[in-house]
Amino acid sequence: MIVTYNWLKEFVDFQDSPQQLCDRLTMVGLEVEALEEIGGNLDSVIVAKLESVEPHPDADRLTVCQVNTGQEVVQVVCGATNHKTGDLIALAQPGSVLPGDFKIKKSKIRGQVSQGMLCSEKELGMAAESPGIMILAPELTLGEPVFSALGLKDYQIEIGLTPNRPDCLSVVGIAREVAALSQQKLKLPSSEIEEGNGQIQDQATVIVENSEGCPRYAARMIKDIKIGPSPDWMVRRLQAVGMRSINNVVDVTNYVMMELGHPLHAFDFRYLDGGKIIVKNAQQGDKFITLDENEHTLSAEDLMICDGQRPVAMAGIMGGLNSEVKDDTNTVLLEAAYFKPTMIRRSSKRNGLHTESSHRFERGADIDMIPVVLDRAASLIAELADGQVVSGVIDCYPQPLKPIEIELSADKTRNLLDIDIDRNEIQRLLESIGLKAGAGSCSDCLQVKVPSFRPDIEREVDLIEEIARLYGYDQIPVTMPVGAVDAKLPSLRQLLQKTLRQSMVAAGFSEAINYSFVATDSISKIGISDQDSRSTQVKILNPLSEDQAVMRTSLVPSLLETVAKNLNYRSSDLRLFELRPVFLTQSSDQSVEKLSLTAVMSGQREPEGWSQNSQAVDFYDIKGVVEAVLSNAHIENVAFDPLVSQPYLHPGKSCQLRLGDQSLGFVGEVHPEILHKFGIEQPVYLFELDVETAISVAGQHAQFKPLSKFPDVKRDSALLLDESISAEQVMDVINQSKVRFVESASIFDLYTGKGVPAGKKSLAIRVCYRDLEKTLTESEVTKSHDKLIRSLCHRLEAEIR
Amino acid sequence: MQESLEKLQKVALSDLHQAGDLKSLQDVRVQVLGKKGSLTEIMKGMRNLSAEERPVIGNLVNRLKTDFENAFNLRQQELQQENIAAKLTSEKLDVTLPGRRTVSGSLHPVTMVTAEVREIFSRLGFTVAEGPEIEEDFYNFEALNIPKDHPARDMQDTFYISDERVLRTHTSPVQIRTMLKNEPPIRIIAPGTVYRRDSDLTHSPMFHQVEGFLVDEKVTFGDLKGVLTHFLNEFFGEGRSVRFRPSFFPFTEPSAEVDIECVICGGKGCRVCGKTGWLEILGCGMIDPAVFESVHYDPDKFSGFAFGMGLERMAMLKYGVNDLRLFFENDLRFLKQF
Repeated sequence: MIVTYNWLKEFVDFQDSPQQLCDRLTMVGLEVEALEEIGGNLDSVIVAKLESVEPHPDADRLTVCQVNTGQEVVQVVCGATNHKTGDLIALAQPGSVLPGDFKIKKSKIRGQVSQGMLCSEKELGMAAESPGIMILAPELTLGEPVFSALGLKDYQIEIGLTPNRPDCLSVVGIAREVAALSQQKLKLPSSEIEEGNGQIQDQATVIVENSEGCPRYAARMIKDIKIGPSPDWMVRRLQAVGMRSINNVVDVTNYVMMELGHPLHAFDFRYLDGGKIIVKNAQQGDKFITLDENEHTLSAEDLMICDGQRPVAMAGIMGGLNSEVKDDTNTVLLEAAYFKPTMIRRSSKRNGLHTESSHRFERGADIDMIPVVLDRAASLIAELADGQVVSGVIDCYPQPLKPIEIELSADKTRNLLDIDIDRNEIQRLLESIGLKAGAGSCSDCLQVKVPSFRPDIEREVDLIEEIARLYGYDQIPVTMPVGAVDAKLPSLRQLLQKTLRQSMVAAGFSEAINYSFVATDSISKIGISDQDSRSTQVKILNPLSEDQAVMRTSLVPSLLETVAKNLNYRSSDLRLFELRPVFLTQSSDQSVEKLSLTAVMSGQREPEGWSQNSQAVDFYDIKGVVEAVLSNAHIENVAFDPLVSQPYLHPGKSCQLRLGDQSLGFVGEVHPEILHKFGIEQPVYLFELDVETAISVAGQHAQFKPLSKFPDVKRDSALLLDESISAEQVMDVINQSKVRFVESASIFDLYTGKGVPAGKKSLAIRVCYRDLEKTLTESEVTKSHDKLIRSLCHRLEAEIR
Repeated sequence: MQESLEKLQKVALSDLHQAGDLKSLQDVRVQVLGKKGSLTEIMKGMRNLSAEERPVIGNLVNRLKTDFENAFNLRQQELQQENIAAKLTSEKLDVTLPGRRTVSGSLHPVTMVTAEVREIFSRLGFTVAEGPEIEEDFYNFEALNIPKDHPARDMQDTFYISDERVLRTHTSPVQIRTMLKNEPPIRIIAPGTVYRRDSDLTHSPMFHQVEGFLVDEKVTFGDLKGVLTHFLNEFFGEGRSVRFRPSFFPFTEPSAEVDIECVICGGKGCRVCGKTGWLEILGCGMIDPAVFESVHYDPDKFSGFAFGMGLERMAMLKYGVNDLRLFFENDLRFLKQF
């Protein structure tokens, strides 16, 4: 909503400067989003005097003028014809930028120097049309900026209104707030009306068939009008509040709407069949062309204003092209009505038509304002279009609205706001914004009558808000709550997320956040088949783009895109993870959100440096990260099963993370074909962890194992094994053997090649023996180690090399 | 014998003195005290001495030994110091070469800001709660006093999954879910991902919010001001002006927007604050009785406040990030800065 400073001053006396006013409005809940001086950037357009006007030597239609700026005399070439020597005119000096981004420069026109431009009202944005240049009153001072010389200096104030304040969708509405702030009286515009011949009832009829949708419909008729341009003052005002001037009749309806907040509509009466207005719902499927020349297919729920035959306006939203006021219109029927907000809102949404009118009706117009705006607009039309208001008003208002009354407890107000305020002060504040407050049922209570312009006030708490806002939020004390505190520790779920994030950061990964919505085909892009449940994605009915059409069921596609993007940014050593939900479909209207931890790794193992030769990361780097993450989460005994994998992973370099029969996730190298699809040309390693399962199996904390005071003994052995025997099988035999004193075991070398027969490999293990109670003897260790080796040889057909 | 001892002492001490390094010093010591050393050789003559002479020579030998050892230690120390000094002079690094780094990771700035907000509120007794991102219309709108066909729905452009399911437009549905399950007193914060159908320079269709609310008997607007002022002081640093101004949210009444003195210009007015000197930082208010009714709380008995803030905005102000889109581009050059 835009208002101007001077327009507000018409309705309330206040002393604030524009900036002070804006600050006060903001602090009372009408947030000022912009304050602009009108003509503020046109200070270089000044009052100047024509010292001489001579014909241009080389152009018939141009004149060469000597212009006195008060400082000097400059030459300007002008194409107008309405000026003569001695006139005061508006000179746009070089450097001025006129509305429409029209830059004024010093130039030569047909060989004559021109140092500026003589302006018309239109060129300065003061009028819709102007016949020639602006001739100013002779008493103005030379050199003064035109806008201030003409007293047109004003300020545009743009207010970001919240949807609960339809009352402020007008200059008077905002003036009411200003009046309350400055403890002044609100002066309403005059709505005195002079009525002429005839009776409206004899010429027009109004029938409201849907009175629920239209509780009140009023009309006046103005005849013998002459359509023409509006006076400049009205054009300027409309322009200042962001509206375009159309003609004197339409402009009046808009002007009164901006002034008083209630939308109006003028029909060309000659097009109203039978002189009738019938307010009823549309026929399903009917076509209707609105003023903006767009055709709409109507729904049976659209409320229409019809004449004897057909719809002539979409109620409360926009008039029809078929009854538009034209240049030769002679008689208009002026409508002021109240329409049910939800009905207007639905129609406006359905037809994609949001107008100044629908904006007001859907928020709640002021039903009591109808006769006032009707008279105000009718008399303005009569005045500006030289017409006559036909006697009488049609006002269909079968069930007058009773004002809402609310009882307000001053005590409750004090308690909720924590302020010290008495009943009288509350009464004063409420009355300052037009509410009527009288004695209530108790001595500390008020009975408050809510005027119809405040549809947002329905309950006691709404009144308390008004009191708070008028009292000043900044006057309310700052306290701390004193009640009981029952703060709980973070849940296991929250703790685990924290642990996982910390582990990933410790492993050198950066956390990414991608949008939860992705393209529908992103899941097939990573090779996931239609049968896979991840192909059933939750669809967004109204996505912003095809790339954001469905909720992702896997974090893999987004992360691969992130990899590709970073490679394009020339970052080649990448470690990225996301810990976010995926959205899995359970049934047609049920989905479940499961947290997934997915990480990708690519490039060099160590940062580039002057002293080290780094190598490319491989499968065992990402696996090491997985192992560290699992260990930090106290998840033990996870198996890496090479037989189960994912279509987007390299079949020979990937596996499932399994705990018993539960899948915890997958780790591996990304399938080269998938990488190719993402335009990635270097190997990428990936793991994904099903965090929900991890939460169910994670240990809460570490369990201490006592430290031995005695030395350990290490024994190394090289095992010759069949190539198919996995390291995990070897470790399983060691871990499951009941050999005494084994403290830990590790694999420290893998060798194939010279000296090792084809189909075999050599795996070197190191076993550490130690006892809690004593130093082990050589023979104890040997006995244990021999037993362990025998068991390996027996179970895995190993040989000692 | 005495004579040869004295001679030995002279030679030995001079040899010690002349030894140029630790090894030759050690050699001198072996030459004198070793099994085949000169002193050992002389000592072999002891058995030929008379009983009177023996103690005298014995003393002499002991003195020689002590003197020698002392001289040896002294010289050894000297040589060691020379060695260290020589080493120190010869060993020199270009300490300005970069250190050997391990790969370092980073948390997303939104995660970091979330953690900080949680930390501050947890010290005020708030517990963290969560809710689903695909939310039912009831929790996201209806129960929060935003009926269908109400213009307040325009405040949040919504992504729909079906007529009854939406991508939550705010974290406020967690209020409803929590209150339906628990009785006051309640102090909850609920960080989470939210979605609005809006995408331009300053709007992302997905972003993050923290919701917070407190319900108890006799909670006042003053308490709301107190808790949020405390929070903003903790988060942005003490001494920054905070102002509360009236606003509108369907689920709070009275409602407020909270502004802080611009962190960029300190309130003088700049591009970031639109020349106002203030930055809008969060929305809040006293929980509307209609919300209490939808969770079956007695609005005459309980009161409470709720607030919500955008985490990207907090992160932008805290870290000076000037482009919202950076948060979701996942450019490592951005992520690694945090």
